[in-house]
Amino acid sequence: MFSLRLALQSVIKEMWMSLLSMLSIGVMLFILVAVAVIVYNVEKLTARLPERLTVMVILKEGVTSEENKAVQAAIKAEPAVKAVTFVSKEKALDELKKSLKKDDFILKGFAENPLFDSFDVKIKSEGVHIDEVKRLIQKIKSMKGVDDVEYGEMLMDSMYALKSGMRALGLSIGIVFVCSVTFICYTTVKILFYRHKEEIEVYKLLGATRWFVRAPFFIEGSIIGILGGVLGSGMLMGFYYYFLRKLVADIPMFTFMSIPLQFLYVLPAVGMFLGLGGSVLALGRLKY
Amino acid sequence: MRGVRDRNTKRRQMIELENVSKTYGGQTALCNISLKVERGDMAFVTGPSGAGKTTLFKLLYLAEKPDEGTITIAGCNAADLKSSSIPLLRRNIGVVFQDFKLLNNKTVYDNIALTLRIRGFMEREIKERVHSVLKMVNLRHKVDNYPLTLSGGEQQRITIARSIVGEPTVMLADEPTGNLDEENEKDIMRIFKQINTKGTTILIATHNRALFENTARKVFFLDGGILKGEEE
Ligand SMILES: Nc1ncnc2c1ncn2[C@@H]1O[C@H](COP(=O)(O)OP(=O)(O)OP(=O)(O)O)[C@@H](O)[C@H]1O
Ligand SMILES: [Mg+2]
Repeated sequence: MFSLRLALQSVIKEMWMSLLSMLSIGVMLFILVAVAVIVYNVEKLTARLPERLTVMVILKEGVTSEENKAVQAAIKAEPAVKAVTFVSKEKALDELKKSLKKDDFILKGFAENPLFDSFDVKIKSEGVHIDEVKRLIQKIKSMKGVDDVEYGEMLMDSMYALKSGMRALGLSIGIVFVCSVTFICYTTVKILFYRHKEEIEVYKLLGATRWFVRAPFFIEGSIIGILGGVLGSGMLMGFYYYFLRKLVADIPMFTFMSIPLQFLYVLPAVGMFLGLGGSVLALGRLKY
Repeated sequence: MRGVRDRNTKRRQMIELENVSKTYGGQTALCNISLKVERGDMAFVTGPSGAGKTTLFKLLYLAEKPDEGTITIAGCNAADLKSSSIPLLRRNIGVVFQDFKLLNNKTVYDNIALTLRIRGFMEREIKERVHSVLKMVNLRHKVDNYPLTLSGGEQQRITIARSIVGEPTVMLADEPTGNLDEENEKDIMRIFKQINTKGTTILIATHNRALFENTARKVFFLDGGILKGEEE
């Protein structure tokens, strides 16, 4: 308890330094969250991607109706598949004619229907990972009677690349900022420690243990971390209410953007953890 | 038989130095010192400035390590002590530092209470004890003052109060009356005698012959780091 009091006194006495550290930690944690939010939104966006995908399963020429049924049942049985509809080549041709409208003369050159029987496969919207879709497609491809599978390969791959790119970027920015926050706490605590060096000397001479000397600094580091986190949360709230809401109101395209508000209480906890880590590092190798 | 007697004599010694030497980068502060202070004794160390009195004390409260020789205090061999048990030993040693070592950003109360807070005492008992030692040194009215607003003699008496508040088994008082008038000097010596009769072993370093003249106490004479003599 005495340690806690010492720590609080020190935070108040060294208010400017503490405040500066808290502010930098707050800003860093805020940026960290901003990056996390971007990554999160890209994830969310790509997670819903399979839903927009229509996979077209092209059947081989002259497939019997039994085989046809078997393939349909097999696809239907896949857990990721929502619906399978059979599109005969006649129907496909009708649809093509409809979409070409006046330009349907193009088709006149064909004596026979150049199209093929196929299935339209709809993927479930939730809980389906892109990797799973890829696996499913491979599986369908290997089914008997299936000629080929077509899907938005390019789109999917580029989204996939974007996603992993964002992840890597987010991770590296995350690591850099986590290190920075720890470093700020480290320096702050180290400076505070050296400022109190004479006092600590007296403590030791009066019989203070290592722990008694260090505890106030650990607590102080944690307090700075927590308050930094609270500042970060505050900025996040401000950003959320004054910026993002206006943005969403003006440009509906951004409605998909969302900030998980759990960050509001996660940030102080993260701050505390990093603050404590920084102070442990700061005092770790000192002989006191 | 010999082993038993050895152990008994060890028991009786509170402070024991054997052939202890200490140099500070070529400057000899203590040279081949051997001395013993028995449990419950009150002894004096005297000698001119620079004789090595403070250095001797620093070795005893383990702020410095000897270059040679062994130091035993309160039954502990200083060289064998783990660094984690040094604080525990120090809690048994009350030190009146020559330079006081009061914390100028803390009140008199907090300075004295610190000794007890370090030991994990409850605030209620701390309050009682701090007030009682302040009364002993006649400075109760200065409880909320900061050290720098006190006179040299008052600061010295606060330092003495701090050293006795933890009821140590050994007291090391380095020039404890250096800044005091005769009246206060007598008071302080009276306190030391009182604590001594309660069983605390006391070693006092001083220039002031008046403190030990006409007493039957042990006196060690130091000069230039050499133990010149020992008197009872
Ligand atoms: N930290 C140090 N570094 C270098 N030399 C030192 C150090 N401490 C003490 N000395 C030297 O050791 C010698 C003994 O010093 P010490 O402080 O023990 O003397 P003292 O007997 O306490 O003197 P005084 O009566 O003036 O307090 C002196 O010559 C001093 O210069
Ligand atoms: Mg001295």
